[in-house]
Amino acid sequence: MNILIVDDEPAIIAALTPVLGGQGYVLFTADCAKSALDMSQKHSIDLVLLDLGLPDADGIDIIAKLKEYSDPTVIVLSARHLEKDKVRALDEGADDYINKPFGIEELLARLRAAQRRKRLSGESEVSKFVSDQLHVDFSTRQVRLLGQEVKLSPKEFSLLEVLCKNAGQVVTQRKLLIAGWNDPAADSQYLRSYIALLRQKLEYDPSEPEHILTEPGVGYRLSVSHKVKEM
Amino acid sequence: MKQTLHSNTKSAPVVSVLIDLTIFSLATAGTYLAQELDRPITSVLIYLTGVILIGARSGLKQGILAAVAASLIYNFFLSEPAFSFGASTADEIVPLLAFNISAIVTASVAGRSRDSATSAKLAEARSASLLTISDRLQQAVELAEVLEIARQTLPAHGVTDLEIHVRRGGQLYDIARDGHPVNPLTALLQLGSDNDGTFSVRTYEMVGAHGDLGFVKFVFPETMSTGDKHLDLQAVTNLLALSIDRCMLLDALSEARALQKSEQLKSAILSSVSHDLRTPLTAISAAASSLRSYDQSLSPVQKDQMLATIGEQCARLNRYTANLLDMGRIQAGISTSGFEEIDVVEILGVVLSHVRQSFPEQPIRKEIASGEILVRANGVMLEQAIFNIIENSVIHGGGQGTVLISLCGEDDSCVLEVTDKGPGIAGVHQTDIFRRFFRSESPATRGGSGLGLYIAKGFVDAFGGSVEVISPVEDDLGTRMIVRMPLAASMPTGTPK
Repeated sequence: MNILIVDDEPAIIAALTPVLGGQGYVLFTADCAKSALDMSQKHSIDLVLLDLGLPDADGIDIIAKLKEYSDPTVIVLSARHLEKDKVRALDEGADDYINKPFGIEELLARLRAAQRRKRLSGESEVSKFVSDQLHVDFSTRQVRLLGQEVKLSPKEFSLLEVLCKNAGQVVTQRKLLIAGWNDPAADSQYLRSYIALLRQKLEYDPSEPEHILTEPGVGYRLSVSHKVKEM
Repeated sequence: MKQTLHSNTKSAPVVSVLIDLTIFSLATAGTYLAQELDRPITSVLIYLTGVILIGARSGLKQGILAAVAASLIYNFFLSEPAFSFGASTADEIVPLLAFNISAIVTASVAGRSRDSATSAKLAEARSASLLTISDRLQQAVELAEVLEIARQTLPAHGVTDLEIHVRRGGQLYDIARDGHPVNPLTALLQLGSDNDGTFSVRTYEMVGAHGDLGFVKFVFPETMSTGDKHLDLQAVTNLLALSIDRCMLLDALSEARALQKSEQLKSAILSSVSHDLRTPLTAISAAASSLRSYDQSLSPVQKDQMLATIGEQCARLNRYTANLLDMGRIQAGISTSGFEEIDVVEILGVVLSHVRQSFPEQPIRKEIASGEILVRANGVMLEQAIFNIIENSVIHGGGQGTVLISLCGEDDSCVLEVTDKGPGIAGVHQTDIFRRFFRSESPATRGGSGLGLYIAKGFVDAFGGSVEVISPVEDDLGTRMIVRMPLAASMPTGTPK
């Protein structure tokens, strides 16, 4: 997988390069928006790690252009408190974000999630999501938790389906509202209620969820801390 | 007010003329009676009295009119020979002269005293209105208020509008349009927005304690331009100059105080930064350089410890910078415009998972109401506020037992209680703990920045809530932090579609 790291801080590139290279990723680097666009044009990039504070442009503004050439997955590097920027970047086409500072394990987990989703989206028919706790069959609409069948309403299932297909990646409220209600302007109160219902059915302790995690101000994320089986 | 004044001045002359006529008729009748009784001197005196009365009452014009009429009537009807004019004897010319002279003298004397009475009244009215304006202006503490008060009080005195141009730092500013300096020439010449020719303008210079303050432009209808007798514009200008002077001094004073305060804060931040950034940096630097230079002589356990130190101290630096950032947000003022309905139960779930990551050993007991508890807030800030409060309880009391977290909706507020079994907080410190950079003496707090609770309270305040501390809770032990936030008012009813 070809990864383009866009960051104007050499120390960050220097710290990431050895480990990511050791994991078998092919790395390209860019220190500004212009060179990032050049690189994404010249090389077939699968994934971009994009810092939003670039010297020559706002990172958010180049997401759409980066996606033009080889449609790479875009993961945004952002500060924790800038949730508005995160939502904007995700709306612009970014696939996920990581709060700075991050640990290398967290970064690798996100890269794996992105890789899995990219591979799945390449396949014509994605039929199942399987982790060691959760088993979701998209064609028969069957859900099993620890082997036990769980009955879900159609709306609950469509929400869970989007979360599973993006397992490990954040899914914005907007995307979930489109998935469940076909309307990004629908009342987020409905979404909250359905997520609560899903948690009651899927979580051991709904007040401290382990599967469906909340990303305050942004959306939800299906946790992949439970091992996901590669299908 | 104006209406009644108007109708008064209209009806007054008619009444006055009627009274004059009555006096004149009475005097005529009296004279006639005296003449009939053959008392010529009395009759002349009666007529004279009437003429003097009218002159005194109504002024020169009416006085002379009465005098001429009286002499004619006296001459024609009353004096011998009756029904004919004649001025052959002194007896007949003298009353004529006497009537006219006394009318002229009394009228002018009366007129003069009336004039001085009127001007006294006017002066009284002027000083009364100046007093009113001055009273109102005393209340102004900002330049904009001075203008507003002037605009409220002056129209009653015929001034339709005014502009105040204040000189500050060599530039002229129109108070109504603050921000950009104006060109003095255009400011002087331009006539506001109502420049349709029916208004006239008078400009007065303002002088304050430190010299030139700018100028005031009074605008009033053309018809008033001959002189607005009810108001001394120069005096009004002086009053305005006084209050503008005061406002500018107050401004300078509060600026100086703010500057002093921000200087104090700056030095507090600097001392905090130099300590709280340097301590973890020292640890990281020491560990990293040891690993580099003494790799051979270190045991695997020691190496592992050093790497762990680097990780921990990085986390501490991260927390600290995040705290500084949050403090900056609170100081800049948190806008409520980005707030949305947030389920506190959901956010508490996020916080608990972070708490368990940060303090895996800490036993926690939860009492969480089922269902949603909605408040209007910012999700990330609410998460931070709740985390800081729980973190504080874990650090200060967790070591000695379970931390209890309870969350429920009561009436119209959300109540979150975090109770620890620590040593408690002394009464004197119970307000201090919410102050910036306050750190208790206990060894457990080393590594804290003294910002956690300050930030928690700052955020909760921004959501319209409050943070309360109760300590000790029981048996002289424990602290309970109570966070109250108003429930979101507009909760959609009914089940979701």
